[in-house]
Amino acid sequence: MDLVLRTIFVFFLILLITRAVGRRELSTMEPFDLILLVVIGDLVQQGVTQSDYSLTGATMVIVTVALLTVATAWLSFRFRRVRPLLEGEPVILVADGRILERNLRRQRMTVDELGAEARLAQIGSLADVRYAVLETSGKVSFLTGSS
Amino acid sequence: MTSLFTDVAAVPESRGATAGLWARRAVITIFAVVAALGLLDVFGQGTTQTTAGTPAAVVHLTAPAAVRGGLFFQSRIEIRALRALEHPRLVLDEGWVEGMQVNSIEPAPVGEANRDGRVVLSYDRVDAGERLVVRLQFEVNPTNVGHRSYGLELDDADTRVAAIHRQITVFP
Repeated sequence: MDLVLRTIFVFFLILLITRAVGRRELSTMEPFDLILLVVIGDLVQQGVTQSDYSLTGATMVIVTVALLTVATAWLSFRFRRVRPLLEGEPVILVADGRILERNLRRQRMTVDELGAEARLAQIGSLADVRYAVLETSGKVSFLTGSS
Repeated sequence: MTSLFTDVAAVPESRGATAGLWARRAVITIFAVVAALGLLDVFGQGTTQTTAGTPAAVVHLTAPAAVRGGLFFQSRIEIRALRALEHPRLVLDEGWVEGMQVNSIEPAPVGEANRDGRVVLSYDRVDAGERLVVRLQFEVNPTNVGHRSYGLELDDADTRVAAIHRQITVFP
């Protein structure tokens, strides 16, 4: 029983952490972030399975994680009000060609970073951007003036 | 629209896709059953208590009915003497130590012996109304898989006072 309960606790702890840390940080994987991710994975494993070396234990943990993933996806699909909690909401960064500094600040994102995202989207200048939206995945989608 | 999109859109939903959807739902249901069984302690390691009583003593054994490889667990034996036990002896079935790492036995017995393959732990006199609580700490050897006899017998010298019959299951 304790193994399933520990898995449930850690699942929601990770969900809370990812929501608190913010989507930008999680979508851009710097080497430091990658190492941190591996370290967190190791710490989580110790907390969940502890000294359990069994296949039964591993099966229970994986099955529980899979179930929780499906359950949260279903909740998010079924209940609109839960969606922002579980997945977050898209944030408009540029509206009608105007950069929304306040929203950028809230996402700890600079204009330079927005420019870099625009370059990756083959956009030559931020002046060409009509709308930019930070999606729940952490990626920025652009709508240019000519679109 | 390009052919890459129209070709996909033109294909009606196949029976395979419908079957796949139901298969996925069936698998998720099985997952839910496994997790529910886990919560119900079917795969270990919640403890259960078994009691045996006679006019001479009452014995409680609190231990998990199922464990998994690598787990640490405790088995607790509580003896309440109803009359004085001059030479209390705990005779443990072979499953107690077969493939189990014995980390500690508290209080340590004054003597250990063998009785036809079973381990005998001897303790000092327990007076009437007194309690003897023995805590045994184990770790499961991951290769120790299967059902084992996990019963015990309380003897006063060579006279049987009470006996508990139970099993332990070690999951792989």
